[in-house]
Amino acid sequence: MLQILVFGACKGSVYALVALGFGLIFTTTRVFHFAHGAIYVLASFMLYLFARQLQWPFTAALVLAVSIAVLVGMIIELVVYRPLKRKGASGVVMMISSLGVYIVIVNLLTMCFGNETKILHEGAERGIAIGPITLTHIQVWQCLAAVGLTTLYALFLRFTALGRTCRAVADNLTLASVLGVRVDATRLTACAIGAFLAAAGSILLALDVGIDPQGGFGAFMVSAVACILVGLNRFVAPALGGLLLGLLQSVAVWWTSAQWETVVVFIVLILALWVRPSGLWGVVSRVEEQ
Amino acid sequence: MNYLFHIIVLIGLYVMLSQSLNIVMGYGGLVSVCQAAFYGLGAYTCALLMVFAGWSFLTASAAAIAVTGAVAFFLSFPAVRFRDDFFMLATLGFQMIVFTVLYNWVDLTRGAYGVAGIPRPSAGDVTVEAPWAYALLVACVACVLVFTVHRILSSAYGRTLRAVRDDQLAAQSLGKNVDRFRRSAFTIAGTLAAIPGVLFACYATYIDPTSFTIEESVFILSIVIIGGAGNIRGPLLGAVLMVLLPEGLRFVQIPDSVAANVRQIIYGLLIVVLMNIRPQGIAGKYAFD
Repeated sequence: MLQILVFGACKGSVYALVALGFGLIFTTTRVFHFAHGAIYVLASFMLYLFARQLQWPFTAALVLAVSIAVLVGMIIELVVYRPLKRKGASGVVMMISSLGVYIVIVNLLTMCFGNETKILHEGAERGIAIGPITLTHIQVWQCLAAVGLTTLYALFLRFTALGRTCRAVADNLTLASVLGVRVDATRLTACAIGAFLAAAGSILLALDVGIDPQGGFGAFMVSAVACILVGLNRFVAPALGGLLLGLLQSVAVWWTSAQWETVVVFIVLILALWVRPSGLWGVVSRVEEQ
Repeated sequence: MNYLFHIIVLIGLYVMLSQSLNIVMGYGGLVSVCQAAFYGLGAYTCALLMVFAGWSFLTASAAAIAVTGAVAFFLSFPAVRFRDDFFMLATLGFQMIVFTVLYNWVDLTRGAYGVAGIPRPSAGDVTVEAPWAYALLVACVACVLVFTVHRILSSAYGRTLRAVRDDQLAAQSLGKNVDRFRRSAFTIAGTLAAIPGVLFACYATYIDPTSFTIEESVFILSIVIIGGAGNIRGPLLGAVLMVLLPEGLRFVQIPDSVAANVRQIIYGLLIVVLMNIRPQGIAGKYAFD
């Protein structure tokens, strides 16, 4: 049981990173960023391309893969979301466009790389035993990276000018722009950082279990649910939501079987939305804002 | 010639699916991504009853519509508590649950093996067997369905639904129970999707869960988006266009291995572009604002 919880925590820490990215993009841009899932898949595929197919050194491939993911995240904001926002498009229009972007990117990837799961890391790994539990190297990395990046991210929000503008834009867009915050630049930064976090999570998971070309959808759902669970409009809390979902999935899989893994997330989502549409710590919005 | 009839059947099925989705999406203003789930529920209920319980086509299809309608009705209660993006997310969740159940509840649905040997529709001693007859049947049912949807939506009910969509507070202050209208739109849309489900099951004579995936839901959604939401001719145009598009691609000699991807890329791009320059779609009326 302890082993299962620890595995869940490892997976949850990856989810936490992806959810943080999604949360940042949602709070600052108000886009339900479906394409987050596409960027998630893209990052792993780029690593696969450079590290496995082209046989480049791992570090170079890693840097390049993450950079491409960040770049694509920024391009999506520039080409798709920014023009829509200028037109004052509604959230639904944004989300549908985002879905369109997701479809395009994922299909381009499966067209180039094929539709089967790719293995990034071959060979069985020797586990590290810590007391009664056994972990692989990559799982230790997952936990460390998640804790490290989450801390960095929290510090960034708290202590840097960019972080403060992100929070300002999320809190009150009109007021922030009146006070001279460069909203467009802030949105772009948020998309870049969001894409970076998605890429980090994606690569950490891909090194462990391989790349599923259709996995972006699950990643999007998990991060959206994690953010809703803790209440939208929060920056660091989605990490907790992600961790919780990872734990829940592991326990559910242990109880039943692996096929029901995805269903757990949706049941949590529906229950969470039903019981508290504003999230565990969210504020209730008024009818006019709906 | 049979190819032509096949195309007619496909267009008919997607006309029905997109028209039913349009009720909740174009008139109710709630973007639903679970139409394929209702489609699948209809198809599976009918197929299982006909193949394993030996029911006749008419009773099985009536049961399929009733079961799907009941599910849609019960689901509508939690569903309408959400708006906009959240509604989309919740329906996405339901779509995923239905797919997983169809795929994994092997004892009931035979899971990935699918259900084979579904008989063709028959009433009395008339059986619809030939491709032309099936095309005719689907076309007739589609016409009746489109006409019914048109009548429902141009009635006082349809006007109220639009009022609720455009200004919830105003509708509420005129004494309309907005949640009830949204619930009924969702229920009608789900129930109607069972009809193409039944026709699809009997047409293909074999169904498996892969016909009722999220991609299928997104495809139906994109028909309504590209054709246009909020009136009758938008989804009609969308269905014809989107069914003919892959057939057109067949003629420009794209290799089969990438044809599916190319098709999806094209409609993904179409969605992005249309949402930007013309959110109401090619011939639609409602722009999701």
